[in-house]
Amino acid sequence: MILTPEVLAIFILNTIFAFFGIIAFYLSVKIYLNWDLSSTSKAQYRLEKQSYLAATIIKFIFIIKVPLFLFFVFTLDKISNVLTGAMCGAGVVDATDTGTALFVLKIINLYIFAYWIALHNEDVKHEKQPFLKQKFAFFIIAFFLFMAELVIEGVMFGSIEIDKMVSCCGTLYSSTSTSAISSIFALDTSLLLYMFYGIFLLIVVFYFLKNKYLFAISNALFVPISLITLIVFFGTYIYELPSHHCPFCFLQSDYYFVGYLIYTLLFLGTFYGLVVGFVESKKEDKLKSYKMSLIFNSLYVILLTSFVMIYFIRNGVWL
Amino acid sequence: MIELKNVTKSYEINKNNIVVALNDVSMKIGEGELVVLRGASGSGKSSVLSLIAALSKPTTGEVIVDTKQISKLPDNFASEYRRDNIGFVFQKYNLITTLSVKENILLPLVPLNPDPDDADEKLTRVMEMFKISHKKDAIIKNLSGGEQQRVAIARANVNEPKIIIADEPTANLDEKLSLHFIEMLKELKKLNKTIVIATHDPLFFGLDIVDREIEMHNGAII
Repeated sequence: MILTPEVLAIFILNTIFAFFGIIAFYLSVKIYLNWDLSSTSKAQYRLEKQSYLAATIIKFIFIIKVPLFLFFVFTLDKISNVLTGAMCGAGVVDATDTGTALFVLKIINLYIFAYWIALHNEDVKHEKQPFLKQKFAFFIIAFFLFMAELVIEGVMFGSIEIDKMVSCCGTLYSSTSTSAISSIFALDTSLLLYMFYGIFLLIVVFYFLKNKYLFAISNALFVPISLITLIVFFGTYIYELPSHHCPFCFLQSDYYFVGYLIYTLLFLGTFYGLVVGFVESKKEDKLKSYKMSLIFNSLYVILLTSFVMIYFIRNGVWL
Repeated sequence: MIELKNVTKSYEINKNNIVVALNDVSMKIGEGELVVLRGASGSGKSSVLSLIAALSKPTTGEVIVDTKQISKLPDNFASEYRRDNIGFVFQKYNLITTLSVKENILLPLVPLNPDPDDADEKLTRVMEMFKISHKKDAIIKNLSGGEQQRVAIARANVNEPKIIIADEPTANLDEKLSLHFIEMLKELKKLNKTIVIATHDPLFFGLDIVDREIEMHNGAII
């Protein structure tokens, strides 16, 4: 077990989240089962008050959880300093059986939490709160993923053994590795790049066509393709090393923490893109989401491309 | 214009201590009417006012203003409703004593971010109506009780609300100033405002400008 100040902070926050999350879950079930806006009964007025309480709890848990993902990544990176063999967060993730599952679950939850906040913000803009039942039903489902994340996170930090040798990212993210991750290196780089820029082009086209579903689907596809392309191709240009593919090392100070910017841009761009397709909103709000998605996705693509271009201009060769 | 249908309002202090402030109250108040709610302390007058102003929600029943069921409004919409429709006159004026007369009167306009010329026009109009123009830049704490009451009424009207709600408006005034307040009510009545006053001040009983008196006792209309 490892108990650094950062891990303790995460444990304390998780305990608080679990406590309030259970209250919000209980209220959400009650609201979902008994809500009847047309009723003027005592029970309905009570539910209306409780809906404010539940929504406030969920909103604040999720508002904190979204940026806390970056803190989690930062913590992994810091722990890597005390784990023998680990050079960055990748070694810490691989140090336990639950690390990779937790990381994937955290990314899924990140979008779920942000979606709930977007749905809630849209709901409270309307007098009749048309998405009220939907948002609480969504939370009931999200609650289980949320609790699973808290439990797995506890298990992961609890099962890290400091005296045990772990693999470094150079081993984990290499084409010679036998890990599941290594299978992505079998993909053709040119094909990946065509897909990466092709999907981005689709996002631009659907932005101008204002086709909300295709725009959202393009953004959903952009997430995995971006991550794979980042590991297989763009990462090497960030490190200026043809064999280094780690998606964690560029979060470190050696690379001016550029990873935080890269992941934040990708998250914001694709999140707003998904909001366009999955949250019903007024035309001006939808246009704003379209615009935000395009801006963040464009900045993401420009930033990654710039590493490649700068390397080529400086050195006159491709990696 | 204002309708309360079978409204009950109770305050649960704990499971064994529930105070029933209103018990199955129904009433209608027409547009432009001046209604006085009378009754002893604890009879439920202020609870009726807070329900009409959407400051609180009933335990059961409906509160309808202009066909809109305000008792069902979410908090942010209830705030908008108050901002656009209600002018409040409180027993203790609730003015900000360190600000000037002008600043206090303009406070309700702040969330609307009005055009400065428009705000100035509204300010001048209410200050003239309630005869407080000469104290425009005076600080509230330097004013007399009567002048503070004028500022409070001017502030309640600067948004041009349809409904004026006054909770014990003369409780802090002597008889002369109370009569001044009644004069100001006459001005508001001319503007066809709907006015609801909760009071146990006998000065209001039997007044010619009062359209109706509603007597309350133990949370019910007598």
